[in-house]
Amino acid sequence: MRVQLFATCLVDSLFPEVGEAVIEVLARAGAEAWFPVGQTCCGQPALNAGLRPEARSLAIHTLDVFAGEEPVVVPSGSCTDMIRHRFPELLSDDPRLLKRARELASRTYEFSEFLVDQLLIADFNASSHLVIGYHPSCHLLRGLGVDRQPSRLLEGVAGASTVRLDSECCGFGGLFSIEMPEISTEMLRRTLDRIEVAGAELVVGCDVSCLMQIEGGLRRSGSPVRCAHLAQVLAGREGGLR
Amino acid sequence: MSSMFVQRAHAAIADAQLQRLLDQNYEARQRAREAALHGLQDPTELRRRARAIRQQVVAKLEAYSNQFESRLRENGVQVHRASDGPEANRLIVEIAQRHGAELVAKSKSMVTEEIGLNEALEAAGIRPVETDLGEFIVQLRAEKPSHILTPALHLSTAQVAESFRGRLGAEVGDDVEQINAAARAHLREVFLKAPVGLSGVNFGVAETGTLCLVTNEGNGRMVCTVPPVHIAVMGIERLVPSLDDLAVMLRLLPRFATGQKISSYVSLIHGPRHPADPDGPSERHLILVDNGRSKLAGTPLAESLLCIRCGSCLNACPVFREAGGHAYGSVYPGPIGAVVSPGLFGFEQYGNLAQASTLCGACTDACPVGIEIPRLLLEVRASSAPTPTARKLNLYTWLALSPSRFRWAQRLAAIATKALPSRGGWITQLPGPLAAWTGTRDFPPFARRPLRSRVRRKRQQVWPRRPELEPPREAPPAIESAETSEKADLFEQELRALGSEVIRCSESDAPDRIVGELYVLGASRLLAWGQVEPILFTVLQRLTEEGFPVTQPEVPHGAARDEAVRSLGEAEVGLTGAVAALAETGTLVLSTGSRRSLLPSLLPEVHMAIVRSKDIYADLESWLHAGGSQYIAGSSNLTLISGPSRTADIEMTLTVGVHGPRQLVVFLIE
Repeated sequence: MRVQLFATCLVDSLFPEVGEAVIEVLARAGAEAWFPVGQTCCGQPALNAGLRPEARSLAIHTLDVFAGEEPVVVPSGSCTDMIRHRFPELLSDDPRLLKRARELASRTYEFSEFLVDQLLIADFNASSHLVIGYHPSCHLLRGLGVDRQPSRLLEGVAGASTVRLDSECCGFGGLFSIEMPEISTEMLRRTLDRIEVAGAELVVGCDVSCLMQIEGGLRRSGSPVRCAHLAQVLAGREGGLR
Repeated sequence: MSSMFVQRAHAAIADAQLQRLLDQNYEARQRAREAALHGLQDPTELRRRARAIRQQVVAKLEAYSNQFESRLRENGVQVHRASDGPEANRLIVEIAQRHGAELVAKSKSMVTEEIGLNEALEAAGIRPVETDLGEFIVQLRAEKPSHILTPALHLSTAQVAESFRGRLGAEVGDDVEQINAAARAHLREVFLKAPVGLSGVNFGVAETGTLCLVTNEGNGRMVCTVPPVHIAVMGIERLVPSLDDLAVMLRLLPRFATGQKISSYVSLIHGPRHPADPDGPSERHLILVDNGRSKLAGTPLAESLLCIRCGSCLNACPVFREAGGHAYGSVYPGPIGAVVSPGLFGFEQYGNLAQASTLCGACTDACPVGIEIPRLLLEVRASSAPTPTARKLNLYTWLALSPSRFRWAQRLAAIATKALPSRGGWITQLPGPLAAWTGTRDFPPFARRPLRSRVRRKRQQVWPRRPELEPPREAPPAIESAETSEKADLFEQELRALGSEVIRCSESDAPDRIVGELYVLGASRLLAWGQVEPILFTVLQRLTEEGFPVTQPEVPHGAARDEAVRSLGEAEVGLTGAVAALAETGTLVLSTGSRRSLLPSLLPEVHMAIVRSKDIYADLESWLHAGGSQYIAGSSNLTLISGPSRTADIEMTLTVGVHGPRQLVVFLIE
């Protein structure tokens, strides 16, 4: 089976190791992922900033890049939510584009969701000796309703004990993190407290945006705890995001 | 633009006490809501129905408000439409002046906050007194509410006590019970003296012209019962089509607002005092306020009109938890406030509030009618002027529209950021707007080789794998809770959970038990319904024989009224019957009509009620269908009572007996 990988702009530019882990895990699950080179950004930053025409152009760009019938796998709950729910809204004024947006939405999956619900595979013979804190990111949990899938995948990691952290926002919120840094940091501080209380030695999630905020805070506070995308854990690479 | 919000939020973050109060609110309210939802059989379905009901209203706002208006007129309510705040205020001032009112007793109403009614009344020389404990505290301190449901959320017990001592001259310690008692005494005078009572409306029922008021303290009941004139004020969107629809909303509103199954008091009002009623206002007015709502109904923000003002999204919002309500600078703070404020009062002043969100969606999760607040916030952002940082995103979008430009930018970013200060490989100091990030967080370095340059080089070996999991199935239907206990048992259990006493007795024992209880309570005077049923008949006859002072309220119209009402306030115990009871919520249903005064269940410290087990229904819906609707339509003010009067307005400390009875004793006749 061949799938198209929508790596997302953050994974592509900042965390290519996450993308490599995703490709490796998909390969082990029997899916060959290829990287359509035209891909850039889904347009979520523009939409969230209120720049709707710009977001619309990037939505159309993304529709063009991910043409065809192969499933599209995205290692991000937030960007999957953008494609699944926001693209059809953004393009609702044009019946032809709306049809294409709905078609793309129907074959776009978040990484953990694709493994568990589509490939029906959850065990990757991964092992870890760490206490893993799973951070349910907001758009993954509330936007897509994906919660059981990452938990199922983490259950299959031998030797690790997993704690699900409370589903409270880490304070990232895209532009919010630099427009209202004080509030964002307070929310982050609470997240770091939850991680400490849970005794997590590694924070795992399905959105590098949130993990970037959390690891940025962990590093600044001098904590030895690091973050990893779920794919990195499944691929046996726990060294952290970078 | 957003600087005012940000400045106030910073001050809030630096205020340790305020943070403690906000944390307390966040944690306790979330827990309470989750627990309350847990008790519902199918909360998802109930919320879906509630959403559909509200959508139906907002889609046909004009038709429903016209229907509502004509039913109200048939019921004898004087209806006034106000297109904006100043018009509404003028109408209210005129009514008050016509009755020579210098004092108005007011229960909590967000729409009157919205239109600045208090200021307008004061300008006309009329003193409005807020009687909801939280609002009273805020008014005493000349502040604004910081939460739509718990206005004094931002104040500690010590601060409130200080204001009571300093501004009210009340001798109270830093103790919620003492503050409560002082407020009760002070405001009781206001209820008895004020010629005009003013309230909001939680829901209007279009088909029947019912005004529904939900309160816990009993002040809402006071202002629509005791003063000779009642003015209700509501936004035109707060309608539901039918009484059945109201029952759906009443299941959700208290659960989402405070985690209660039902609030202590639900008043269902139809018109002024009927000729046979012993009391109640002889004049009832409704001010229907538009103030931008019909216009909003035609915009992409129309969904915000589904809001039932439960305050749940404020309690669930992580940004509200940091910033507090005052930071928003609007009557309506929090997530829904960031949509409604620009929608009703203008984007120029309030559009920036939509930035105060990570779009995490906790608000939608917490909304009884599932308003997609993050989507609406995006609508507001799209219609507001972009922030300076947002404007810089134009460049990013331009880069992202071309894969080759994007790749060049990635390379450039990797080179340009290489020399920046870093620690352990992550950047500690970024320039420009990104400096706001590195103020508190490290930032990852840009990859020298982005993923796109790596994937072309290697080809992955694909491992053929067979599926190992069962395909996901639809969630199994929720198992219905086995309701084995009799309705009477459930009723008793629920009522006891609300802190009320239930005495089970037979028809023949009842009079002895009731008279005995009166002596146990040490009562010297009883306020009672007339002899509307056999037990009351026997009890009243016996008490008369024993020379026990009993008053059956009959409030005269006109000048003699004040003295009569004042004297009624002295009785320690009130005794009533009940037309029905609802097991699910431990609720008594009291109708009005001949010899059924509203006051015995409201003015005394103890309310005793007689209810027969045959009159217990499973819930509000089943009673409505078993003839309850007729009772509602036939009563000028039918009241649902569940437990004693209560409040948690000060630091969420629950106290009873704030305005209404502090004790409810139910005689359950089998």
